[in-house]
Amino acid sequence: MKDGLKTIYKGPWSYWVGAVILAILNILVLVIRQVPWGITTNIEAWSAWLAKVLGLIQNEDITFEQLMLSSGTYLNLGVILGAFWATLAASQARFRPVKDKKFVLSAIAGGLLMGYGARIAKGCNIGLVLNGIASSSLSGWIFTVAVFIGVWLGSKILLRFLL
Amino acid sequence: MATFQIDIWGEMCPIPLIKTERQLKKMSCGDVLVLETDHSCTSRGIVLWARQHGHEINEKEVANGIWRLELTKRNN
Amino acid sequence: MLKKSQWKLNLGFSFFILFLILLLIQVSLQLTLVFAVSLAIGFTLQKSRFCFTSAFRDPLLVGVTNLTQAVILLLVISVPGFAIAAAIADMANYPLSLYVSPFGVHTVIGGILFGIGMVLAGGCSSGVLMRIGEGFAMQMIAFVGLLIGAFLGKYSLPFWQTSFGEVPGIFLPDKIGWLPAVAVQLFILLVLWKVTRWWQKKQNGVG
Repeated sequence: MKDGLKTIYKGPWSYWVGAVILAILNILVLVIRQVPWGITTNIEAWSAWLAKVLGLIQNEDITFEQLMLSSGTYLNLGVILGAFWATLAASQARFRPVKDKKFVLSAIAGGLLMGYGARIAKGCNIGLVLNGIASSSLSGWIFTVAVFIGVWLGSKILLRFLL
Repeated sequence: MATFQIDIWGEMCPIPLIKTERQLKKMSCGDVLVLETDHSCTSRGIVLWARQHGHEINEKEVANGIWRLELTKRNN
Repeated sequence: MLKKSQWKLNLGFSFFILFLILLLIQVSLQLTLVFAVSLAIGFTLQKSRFCFTSAFRDPLLVGVTNLTQAVILLLVISVPGFAIAAAIADMANYPLSLYVSPFGVHTVIGGILFGIGMVLAGGCSSGVLMRIGEGFAMQMIAFVGLLIGAFLGKYSLPFWQTSFGEVPGIFLPDKIGWLPAVAVQLFILLVLWKVTRWWQKKQNGVG
């Protein structure tokens, strides 16, 4: 019993417990937000706003107020803060530095590819794999197969350059 | 009964597990491999993998958010 | 290295979250609820070490399928869950839209690039967000890449659409009805689950 309580705030929870809770929370997001959970649409909006602030583009009429009133902003912020809260609750919060320069490069390259890929496909693992399939949309399944091929290619790169 | 240690500090998943797998191939049964990581998923992944492959493994949080793993090789 | 309880920080942070929620409630109840649920999502992702990248990658690289099975379970609940939510919303005249997006060559190219990217960045979009919260510098850097990539993607999508065309979104229940659509998808997920079981056994060998 005491160990069980400790697992709740310390973790790790088993994967299937995580899956069941995430499924319920994901449906809750759909009901409250009236649109399924997604991540990269909002990231794209922020990137366009940042580009506008930096003077890279002029023709966008996106404003800071719009972003702060967009539910996507709170979804993304909530995931970051919730994960930080979870590490704090377990007294496991710390800054975790990068070990090697090659991981800095790999992080930037990976982030770029992910951002670009997610925005031309109009979704990521959450918006298209999870919620595309959950919405019974064919695009979700197509994207999932493509991601699997990409991961296979990515694994080859990882074994070749990062190991 | 030798004790080995490999450096998996700050590395991205699943590189630590691949390194562990390779190191274990060089060790004999009963040898101990000591690993330290600050990555919660890495630690969890290695523990699960080791149990599935019949090795003995002890996970201990030695500092805030830092785990020390002691893996005893049990089979080839 | 000492192990110290971080309860003071945790208490302070809890008050900060409470403050944010109280502030947000003044603006909109919907945003507050969305924020609360996403906090729970972040908490759950971290506590169960959930990782979509790992679900795709680890069967290939290290022969571990536990997370793949967890993602399949997540989908097994979500497919009928969304169908039921949509049906109830329809009856209650509650506006609810699902994600049915048009697709084309750019969906496939995007998926492949996304797949490569998430292996290199050590996390997909949700994984990157969760690991920023966990304090990983690597995913903070990846987030910068994500912003730049999303910006470039936004302005090159029209190019992909005009050069290769696009098919309007196919909503399976429109084609074959709700029940068959859900049943077919659950069947595919069941087959995938069987495949992961077989794969796991094969990888573990005789032992």
